Amino acid sequence: MAAMKGRVLVVDDDTALAEMIGIVLRSEGFEPVFCEDGDSALGVFRASAPDLVLLDLMLPGKDGYEVCRLIRAESGVPVVMLTAKSDTVDVVLGLEAGADDYISKPFKPKELVARVRARLRRSDEPTPEHLAIGDLTIDVPGHRVVRDGEPISLTPLEFDLLVALARKPWQVFTRELLLEKVWGYRHAADTRLVNVHVQRLRSKVEHDPERPEIVVTVRGVGYKAGAAVT
Amino acid sequence: MTSVARLLRVRWTRRVRAALHWWRASLQVRVLTTTLTIGLVVLALVFAYVGDRTAQGLFDERVQQVLGESARSTSQAQDMFDSATARTGSEVQNLLTDVTTAQRTGGSGERDVFLLRAPGQPVSVPAVTAVTTGDPKLVDLITPELRAATAEGGQRWQSVGLPTADGRVTPAVVVGQDVTVPVVGGYQMYFLYPLAAEQDRLDFLLRTLAFAAGALVLLLGTTTYLVTRQTVLPVRRAAQVAERLAAGELTERMPEHGEDEMATLAHSFNEMAASLQDQIRQLEELSALQRRFVSDVSHELRTPLTTVRMAGEVIHAAREDFEPAVKRSAELLSTQLDRFEDLLGDLLEISRFDAGAAVLDAEGRDVGDVVLRAVDNASPLAERRGVWVSVELPEGRAVADVDPRRVERIVRNLVVNAIEHAEGSPVEVRVAADSRAVAVVVRDHGIGMTPDEAGHVFDRFWRADPARARTTGGTGLGLAISMEDARLHGGWLEAWGRPGQGASFRLTLPRRAGITLTASPLPLVPVDPDEEPAQRPLARAGIDPAALPDLSDGDDLSEDEKDGVARATARASADEPQEVS
Repeated sequence: MAAMKGRVLVVDDDTALAEMIGIVLRSEGFEPVFCEDGDSALGVFRASAPDLVLLDLMLPGKDGYEVCRLIRAESGVPVVMLTAKSDTVDVVLGLEAGADDYISKPFKPKELVARVRARLRRSDEPTPEHLAIGDLTIDVPGHRVVRDGEPISLTPLEFDLLVALARKPWQVFTRELLLEKVWGYRHAADTRLVNVHVQRLRSKVEHDPERPEIVVTVRGVGYKAGAAVT
Repeated sequence: MTSVARLLRVRWTRRVRAALHWWRASLQVRVLTTTLTIGLVVLALVFAYVGDRTAQGLFDERVQQVLGESARSTSQAQDMFDSATARTGSEVQNLLTDVTTAQRTGGSGERDVFLLRAPGQPVSVPAVTAVTTGDPKLVDLITPELRAATAEGGQRWQSVGLPTADGRVTPAVVVGQDVTVPVVGGYQMYFLYPLAAEQDRLDFLLRTLAFAAGALVLLLGTTTYLVTRQTVLPVRRAAQVAERLAAGELTERMPEHGEDEMATLAHSFNEMAASLQDQIRQLEELSALQRRFVSDVSHELRTPLTTVRMAGEVIHAAREDFEPAVKRSAELLSTQLDRFEDLLGDLLEISRFDAGAAVLDAEGRDVGDVVLRAVDNASPLAERRGVWVSVELPEGRAVADVDPRRVERIVRNLVVNAIEHAEGSPVEVRVAADSRAVAVVVRDHGIGMTPDEAGHVFDRFWRADPARARTTGGTGLGLAISMEDARLHGGWLEAWGRPGQGASFRLTLPRRAGITLTASPLPLVPVDPDEEPAQRPLARAGIDPAALPDLSDGDDLSEDEKDGVARATARASADEPQEVS
C-alpha cells in the first residue's frame, strides 16, 4: 500500500495550517513538501516533482490562479485548491485556471485525505483496453487519446472524465454520478466541478466546442458520450 | 333603436374621454386651446361691434341723403302740379305719369317713384289712378301705417326689405310726402331707395374684417404653438432624461445652452443628476467594500478555524488514549467546532444575501431528484430520531430552472426541521408540478406551532420555545437562509402550523425564470380526512381534495384556515400580526 502514497506539495502562506496539513498527510503515509508564497511555488514544484498539489488561492506574490496556470502549462499533475471562498466566481475561476478539484475551508482531516486519495487513485486496468468515442480512440492503460493518429494532450482528470463517458456510451451520466465516478465524491458535491471540466475537455477534443459531438449535453439530466465514428 | 342610440352614446363618450385625456396630458394643447378660445371670443365681439356700428353709420348717412333728395324732388313735383293746366281726367293722368317719370331720374342713383291717392281722399275723377315707375307689386312695401303717418303731413320714412330677382332681400328706404294734384286733390308721393350699394359696401367691409380676424387667429395660434413649444420642449426633454436616469442610466444629462430659465432648469437638473450619481457611486463603493469585508473576514476566520478544526480532529481521533476528563474535552471540542463552523457558514451565507452578492446558478433540473438527495442526506438524522420519512414524487419528471445547491439546502433545512419537531411521528414530503410551478410540501405531525409562531419561523435566530431550542441544534439561521434562497428563485416559502397538529412548509418555485407565481400545485394547509372533520367540510363531503382548487391560495382560504397560514414571501408579509383562533 505504501507504494500508492505519494508526494504532496502544499502551497499555503499560513504556516500553522500548512504544518497541520503536513501532520495529517504524514500520518496517512504521504510525503508533504511545503512552499509559502506564489513566486517560489513553480520552482519548488519543479524541484520536488510532486504527485499532487494542494494550492491556497490567496498567496503573497503570485496568486493561486496564476500558480495554477503556470503548473498546468507544463504538467497535468492533479491540483486541488484550498479556498476560503466557495462563492461561484472564485471557485469557477480556480477551476478554469486548471484546478481539478477544490476543498473549501474549514475542512476536516478526513475530507482532505479523501480528496487527495481520490485524485491520486489510478485505476490499474490489467488488460489493454481501447475505447472509441466520436472520432477519437482512447488507449486506457497507455493514457493516450488519439484523433487521426495525432495524440491529444489531456490532464489525468480530463482523461478519466472522457474514459468514464466512453466506457458506457449508452448511458446518460448525471453530474452527481460523474462526481462519484471521476472525482470520488460519495455524497452530493458542487456540480460546477463537472460543468467547468466538461467545458475544458470540450475545448480540447471537440471540433466545435459550441456544437459538441463527443461530450453531448442531455438537457435536464447530464452528459453522454457521442456516437463512435467507425 | 335604443341599442343604436346606446352604441352612439358609448362611442361619443369614448371620443370625449379620449379628447379630454389628450387635453389633460399635454400642456401645449391646453395652452393652445385656451388661447384660441379667448382669441376667437374677443374677435367675434369686435367683429359684431364694428359690423353693427358701420352698418348703422352707413344707413344713417344714406337716410339723411335720401330725405333731403326726396324733399327736393317732392317740392319740384308740387311745383309742376301747381303750374299745370290739366282739366280733364286723362290730362291729369298724363300729368301724373309725366311727373313720376321726371322724378324717377331726378335723384342720385336709381329710385322708384309712386304717386298714390291719399287715404280718405274721395275718388272724384274715376279715370285717374295711382301711378308708379317700378313694379306695381312694390306698392305693397308701402305699409298702411306709413300711409297714415304721411297723411298727417310732413316727410315720413320707413326701412323696408326689398325682394330682388334672385329671391334675396336687400334693405331699402321708402320716403313719402303729401302733394296736391289739380282736379283730383290730395295725393301722396313715395320714393323707394334700394340700399344695395350700401349693403355691398358693408359686405365688403365685413369680408375684409373676417379675413383680418382669420389671419389674426392664425397668427395667435402659431405664436402660441411656437412659444409653448419653446417652453414645453425642454420640459419634455427633462422628463425623458429623468426617466432614463430613473432607469439607471446615471450618465444621462440635459443639454445646457443659453442663460434663460430653461438653461437654469437644465443646469439645476444636471447638478441633481450628478449628485445622485455621486451618491449611488458611493453606495456602490460601500456595498463593494461590504462584500470585500465579508469575503476577507471569511478568509481570515476560516484559515485559523481550519487549523483548529484539524488539530481538534487529530486530538479527537486519539481520545481513547486520554484520561476521561481530557477525552470528554476532546469530544466537546470536536462537536462545538462543528457548531461553530455551521454558524460561521450560515452567517457568511446570510451576509452574502444582505450584500446582494448571492447569485442564482440556475440550470434545468428535476426537482424530484434534488428532493430525494436532500432526504437521503437527512436520513441518518431521521434514523437517530426514529422518524419515518416518506417521499411522494409526481408521475413524470418535474424539471425546473433551479440552483440545485440552493434548492437542496432549502429542502434539507425543511426536512431536518420537520424531523426535529416530529417527535417520532412520520414526516411526509410531497412534490408536485404543473405547467408553471413546482411545489415541495414537507409535513410533520409533531408538536406543531401557533399561527403566531408560523409568522416568525423565517426570522433570524428566532426560536419557538427558547427552553427546548438548546437540544435541537441548528444555527437559527437555516429557515432564514431558505427564505432568501426561495426569494432568489422568485419562489415562495410558506409555513402553516397548529399546536398539536404538526406543521406544514411549502416551497413553490417557478419552472422557468421570469414566471410570476400565482398559484401552487400543492395545498399548504393539509387536508387530512382523519383530522377534525368538522373543520374540513370538503373532505367530509367525500370529494377528492386533490380535484379541488388549491385551498391554500389567497382568498380561497376559509377564514378558519387563513389565520393559520404565514406566507413569508414578497407577496404577503409574514410579519403581519396573525390572529390566533
